[in-house]
Amino acid sequence: MTRLSPRARWLAAGLALALAAALAAEHRLLERAREAHARLAAQRTAVVGVRALAEVVSRAGGQGDEVRRAVERFAAAQGELAPIRVVDFNARSLEASTAPADQGEQAAPRRLVREEKDLYDQAQRLRAAVETNRQEGVSRKDEVEIERTAGGGFRIAAPVEPAGEVTGAVIAERPPPAAPPAAGWGGALLALLAAVGLFAALAWLLGDRPAALAAAAVVLLAAAALGYAAVSLGGLAADRMAMEEAVAGRLASTARLAESVLGDASFDAAAWDADVYRRGLGFVAADGTIDAAAVTADLGRTRTRLWRAAAGVTAAALALLLFVGLGGAGRLAVTVVRHRVAYAYVLPAIVAMVVLVFFPFAYGIALSFTESTLYNESQGLWEKWIGVDNYADILSDVAVVKQAEQGSTYDYENFYWTLGFTVVWTVVNVAFGVTLGLFLALLLNRQGLALRPVYRVLLILPWAVPNYITALVWKGMFHQQFGVVNQIVQMLGLAPVAWFEHPFTSFLAIWATNGWLSFPFMMVISLGALQSIPGDLYEAAEVDGASRWQQFRSITLPSLKPALVPAVIISVIWTFNMFNIPYLTSGGEPAGATEILITGAYKIAFQKYQYGYAAAYATIIFLILLAYGTWQNRVTRATEAVG
Amino acid sequence: MSRRRPGFLAQLPLQLLLVLAVLYAAYPLFWVFTVAFSGEQSLMFVDLPAEPTLADRLRAIIPWPERMSAQNFREVLTDQPFGRWLFNSVIVAGSTTIVGVFLACTAAYAFSRFRFPGRQVGMMSFLVSQMFPGVLTLIPIYIILVKWLGLGSTYWGLILVYTTTAIPFCVWMLKGYFDTIPRELEESALIDGASPAMIFFRIVLPLAKPAVAVTALFSFMTGWNEFILAATIMDKEEMYTGPVGLQFFVGGFSQQWGYFAAGAVIAAIPVVVLFFFLQKYLVSGLTAGAVKG
Repeated sequence: MTRLSPRARWLAAGLALALAAALAAEHRLLERAREAHARLAAQRTAVVGVRALAEVVSRAGGQGDEVRRAVERFAAAQGELAPIRVVDFNARSLEASTAPADQGEQAAPRRLVREEKDLYDQAQRLRAAVETNRQEGVSRKDEVEIERTAGGGFRIAAPVEPAGEVTGAVIAERPPPAAPPAAGWGGALLALLAAVGLFAALAWLLGDRPAALAAAAVVLLAAAALGYAAVSLGGLAADRMAMEEAVAGRLASTARLAESVLGDASFDAAAWDADVYRRGLGFVAADGTIDAAAVTADLGRTRTRLWRAAAGVTAAALALLLFVGLGGAGRLAVTVVRHRVAYAYVLPAIVAMVVLVFFPFAYGIALSFTESTLYNESQGLWEKWIGVDNYADILSDVAVVKQAEQGSTYDYENFYWTLGFTVVWTVVNVAFGVTLGLFLALLLNRQGLALRPVYRVLLILPWAVPNYITALVWKGMFHQQFGVVNQIVQMLGLAPVAWFEHPFTSFLAIWATNGWLSFPFMMVISLGALQSIPGDLYEAAEVDGASRWQQFRSITLPSLKPALVPAVIISVIWTFNMFNIPYLTSGGEPAGATEILITGAYKIAFQKYQYGYAAAYATIIFLILLAYGTWQNRVTRATEAVG
Repeated sequence: MSRRRPGFLAQLPLQLLLVLAVLYAAYPLFWVFTVAFSGEQSLMFVDLPAEPTLADRLRAIIPWPERMSAQNFREVLTDQPFGRWLFNSVIVAGSTTIVGVFLACTAAYAFSRFRFPGRQVGMMSFLVSQMFPGVLTLIPIYIILVKWLGLGSTYWGLILVYTTTAIPFCVWMLKGYFDTIPRELEESALIDGASPAMIFFRIVLPLAKPAVAVTALFSFMTGWNEFILAATIMDKEEMYTGPVGLQFFVGGFSQQWGYFAAGAVIAAIPVVVLFFFLQKYLVSGLTAGAVKG
């Protein structure tokens, strides 16, 4: 018997490791999908019960003995809904309750006690949600609240609306659903053994032919991982049909129950199987028939999502296979052991940087391809994947000027307005900082200047002040009614200016603020450079009869360049990224006109909660900075080469 | 000698220009002190009569309070939770300094003394990370810290974020300093039987004390002056840091300018003093960074 070559052994180890990891990940994915199914089935049947009861209670006027009778009938028929409570927030009363604690003295109807404030609050929340959605004509707030309870069950609250107005709520709990039978590991084990066995056989047959063996390993891994996914995904359809049948059965029985309680059948039972906005799901009709096409379409979406995840897992496994199989892992282990002291020293810092800088950066870029918001955080990224839509939205909207009935208006939240504003902001501020800083440095550099140290310290002070304080101080000084700037304006006999109500004056205000804190840096840099120019250069120039201006142009400016160019580069980046001044001084007023790109991105993320869109916005900012950095690098290299 | 010392009179235009510049630079600072010592929450230095004369208006822009009073300082530290917020800032900035400097020292030492695969990549990645716009990483950091790790409104969350903000600058600065410490010292210690850890803690770190002190002060200032991360992560009022608290006094519809000014004076004075102490390192560090970048 011939022994396997070392290469083949690495490949076999890589194949076994990567395939085992891939199968385990897929198995977990499938388990999670089935758990989600079981939870959803339990949730839907429970929602049907609670919605039906809420409707019955509403018809009964939301309070009274009829309500309690209905609750008793429902509790008897649908035993898993326990306890059921009916709250009326106008009367601050507990109208009905099947909770064991609410018997005897505590039996409903009675006033709510202090400990039951959460019930009252929940009913009020539902009223607010229903009213908001009705006013705005959209489905934005949950009209049915579904919470996970501590034990894994649900707590479902639906509004009671006796006469089109919410007056209370039906709040019911449901214990956790039975876990679906665990999927066995048999299939996964079989796939693993088959693939590794087949590879061993091939290795024996092919001998030491690395390219062919590597290709064989790749094919086997892909086939086994994807094949296992395909087989196990097949079972989902049956799960799904079982769920629909359970819901259909529950709908039919609940409809009969409601009919017998109410004495008529003038309700739309199918609407009870609905989402949190009380919009019908449309999978099951009132008579219990299942809309197979809708179910298949929905199942298809779930499948696509899972397929995508499986494909991702397989790709990662392939990378692992090639890494181990081509000897990368072996070499890595050797390197780590050899340099273990050095790695031990850098590891803590690297781990911190990876977890809180590099991973967030990568995650941010991934986020930019999704429609993540505050409201769908619990979903995986791939469920919210929308490709480049965010970028397309941001970049394709070029309508900065909007035609309205009364002439044209500007859309200050448009990306291109903000971009243009940011460019103007950066250029004006840096130019101002350089000019004023250089000018003051030239003044301070005059020979024999009296009081120079005093001036120097006083002029550096603005740089020393934390910039959030600067921003807020200037915000106060530009206050329309009491600000000192308007006092000066009035002293000159003019009307006070509403600084933050017009884009141009608002810009002037934040420019004055940023100019104040940025010129000292340029001044210090210029002063340092000026002082390093040898004095005899000027003496020689004067001997040659050069004028002041000629000396400045031929001696001073060229000597300043090596210090000023990096200072300008860095201050362009600082100003472009200067968050605190626009954010705290003008706050983007009016209407976002003085927002720069990064404050705009922040507001999209943390005031509108559109994380995905904001991430795309921020990625565009990064690309702009990257382009600037590359361009600037090239320019400085070129000038260095010439000079 | 043509560059003789000119008389003060000849300097007059020059002096005038400088005084104007100083007025621009120093007025906001006088403004803060005036509001802080006025004992009131108002932005006005004096109460203007209904029909103010020019003299009244002139008085209204002279930054000197009508009555000197330390009341704002007293109240901001006792009635208002500002003392608590400053304490939070001290904890966060102090811990950031300790954790950040420790991590930066070890990493910088490895980058300076060892040659290992990934050294160049590691050092470059620290530099490149400085280019990431804060907002892009802020969203995921918020999700990771607050939603995943549950570190919202905790000291640790903010300390971790500040530490990683400070690390790259500290590493580069310390590495530059370690490079100047002669290797022979360590080699002879090695021959004498010292372990690498002993060499690092007993020989290199004591020699690098000045650089370590400077990086420590920088890290402290990073944590002390930071606003937006703290405002995003610290949701609960009792966990605000100094900057977030100051903004709270005058943000939204709140107009407590007296508290703000008094608090700003208290929060800014230590860092202004530190700044003048550190200024020359700051300039050289920044320009060096810019040339490398």
